[in-house]
Amino acid sequence: MTSAVPETPTARRPDPDRPRLPWPVLALALIAVAFFVLPVIGLLWRVPWTDVADVLGRPAVGEALWLSVRTSTAAALASLVLGVPLAWLLARIEFRGRSAMRALVTLAMVLPPVVAGVALLYAFGRRGVFGQYLDEWFGITLPFSTPGVVLAQLFVSMPFLVVTVESALRQTDLRVEDAARTLGATRWYVFTRVTLPAIRPGLVAGVVLAWARALGEFGATITFAGNFPGRTQTLPLATYLALETDPDEALVIALLLMGGSFAVLVGLRDRWLDATRGVAR
Amino acid sequence: MSLVVSAAIRRGGFELDLDLDVPAGEVLGVLGPNGSGKSTLLRAVAGLTPAHRGEIRLDDRVLDRVDDRRFVPPEQRPIGVVFQDDLLFDHLDALDNVAFGLRARGIGRRAARGAARSWLDRVGLAELANRRPVELSGGQRQRVALARALVVEPRVLLLDEPLAALDVATRRDIRRELRRQLAAFDGIRLLVTHDPLDAYALADRVAIIEEGRLVQLGAIEEIAAHPRSRYVAELVGTNLVEGTIRDSVMSTPTGAELAVVSDLSGSALAVVRPQSVTISRQEAASSARNVFHGVVHEIERYDGRARLSIDGPLPLIAEITLGALDAMALRPGDAVHASVKATDITTFEL
Repeated sequence: MTSAVPETPTARRPDPDRPRLPWPVLALALIAVAFFVLPVIGLLWRVPWTDVADVLGRPAVGEALWLSVRTSTAAALASLVLGVPLAWLLARIEFRGRSAMRALVTLAMVLPPVVAGVALLYAFGRRGVFGQYLDEWFGITLPFSTPGVVLAQLFVSMPFLVVTVESALRQTDLRVEDAARTLGATRWYVFTRVTLPAIRPGLVAGVVLAWARALGEFGATITFAGNFPGRTQTLPLATYLALETDPDEALVIALLLMGGSFAVLVGLRDRWLDATRGVAR
Repeated sequence: MSLVVSAAIRRGGFELDLDLDVPAGEVLGVLGPNGSGKSTLLRAVAGLTPAHRGEIRLDDRVLDRVDDRRFVPPEQRPIGVVFQDDLLFDHLDALDNVAFGLRARGIGRRAARGAARSWLDRVGLAELANRRPVELSGGQRQRVALARALVVEPRVLLLDEPLAALDVATRRDIRRELRRQLAAFDGIRLLVTHDPLDAYALADRVAIIEEGRLVQLGAIEEIAAHPRSRYVAELVGTNLVEGTIRDSVMSTPTGAELAVVSDLSGSALAVVRPQSVTISRQEAASSARNVFHGVVHEIERYDGRARLSIDGPLPLIAEITLGALDAMALRPGDAVHASVKATDITTFEL
C-alpha cells in the first residue's frame, strides 16, 4: 500500500484576504504593540477601582476636569479657525519663505512644551515683548489665566491640525474647484462649499488630534499659565501634583484622561475616516 | 452673437496662439492631438487661465484683454463647461450638483432644486436625483455634468473631451445625448476633441490645432477632402459616409449603396480609410462587394503617395502609391472604378 511517489511537503496555501508579513516585520510590530499596551496594563493594574467613584466626586477633580474640557475644546476650535486658513496658504500659495513657515509649524510640534511655555512667556508675559503692550493698552494679562492655558494649548496643538489639513488639501483635485468657478461660484463660495466639504475627513482628523493634544498638554501650560486650581490647573497638571500627595487620585485622573481620549479618537476615526475611505474605493 | 478669440495663452512653457471667430449658429469642433493646446483654449475662454496677449470677446463684451488689463473672472462669465472627467462634487447628490450653479448665484434652495430636477429629467436621470456621484456610472455622471452646466442658461457652452473618459457603448449613448442637447442649445457651442469621429458627429465646422496653432478651419468633409498637411490628412483624412444601415447595406442620401459588415440598424456612420480604396480603370473582377463608378476630380501628392478625390454616386478619397498613379497614367477627369471590401469598413451608430 505504499505509494511510489514520495509525498512532497507543500507550503501553506496563501489566504488572498490576509497578506502575510515576513516574520521579522511581524515580530517587531508585536514588540511595538507591547510597548504601547504594557504601560496601559500597568496603569489599569494599579487603579484603585473601589475608590474611582469617590475620587471622581472630589470637587478639585471635577474642577480640573471641567477646566480641561473647556480649554481643550476652545483650543481645538481656535486651531480650526486659524489653522485651516494657514494650511490653505501652505498648500495652495507659493511664496518666499513657505518652507520656512512650514518648518516653523513643525517646530512647534516637536519643541519641548516647556520651551514653548518659556517662549510664550517672553512674548506674551506681562513683561514680554508683546505682552507689555497687551497689558498697557488693553489691560489684558495672559499668563497665569485661563485664556493663557488655551494659548499654551493652542501653540502645541494647532500644528497637528495644520499638518493634517494641509496634506488633505494637497490631495484635492483643483479642477473640481475650477468647475465650480465656471458655474458662477466666487472664490469664497468655492472655499466653503467645495473645498471644505472635500477635505472633511482631514478636518475632522485634524480637530480631533488638536483636541487630544490640547487635552494632554502639560509643559507649556505649567510654564506659561502656572498651576492654579480652578483657573489653570488642568487634568494633566492635577495628575502630576496628585502623584506627590495622593497617588490613587493621580491614577484615577490618569484613567479618566486616557479613557476619554481613547473613546473620542476611536469613535471619531471610525465614524468619519473609515466611512469616507470606503467610498473612495 | 459670436465669440472672438484673438489671443496668445501661456500655460506651463507652452503657448497657444490663435484667431478664432465662433458664431452662434454652429457647433465648432476644435480638433487636435493631446497636448496641442485645445484644453488651454477652453480654459482661457472660461476665464480659468488668463490670456498672455490679445483679447477674448463675447460680442462687444470684453472678457479678457491684456492691453487695458480687463478681465472678467470665470464666475461672472456666461459660460458653461463640461469637462472630460465630469468633475462632479462628490459630497453632493446628483440633484444638488445640478443645483450648484443656481445656488452659487444666490437662488433659493427650493427654486434651485426645482430647476435642477427638471434638467435631470431632460437628460433622463430623474430617478437618480438622490444618488451621489460615486453611485453613478460614467455615462450618468457625464449627463449630470451636462445638466449642471446647462441649468444656469449660459450663452456659451464649452465641451472639453466630453466622451474621452467613457467606454465604447456609453460613448455612443452620450454622443447621441450631446447631439440632442447641442441642437437644443441656442448659444455658442465649442467642442474640444481629439477624435475626428466625435467632431464629425457633433460639429458643423472644425478647427484643427497643432502645437498651439490653428492649421485648418472648415467643414470636416472639406478638410478631409483637402487636408492642408500630411498631419491633417492623417488626423481627419478619411472617408466618413453617413447613411442608414439595413441588413448590412448602408444607403446614403446620394443614393449609393454600400455593403458593410455590421449588426447595426438605422442611422449610422461608415469609416472608409483612403488606403483601403482600390482604383482601377476597368471594372476588375475582385472579391470587393463595393464597386463605384466615378470620375477623378483632383489629385494631390504627398511624400510617396497620391490622394485622389473621386466624384460619383459615392464621393470617395483614395490613397494610392505614386507608382500606381503613374502606371495607370491617371489625370483629373478620367473615369475610374473605386472598390472597397465590406470588411474594410467600420461602422458607428449615430
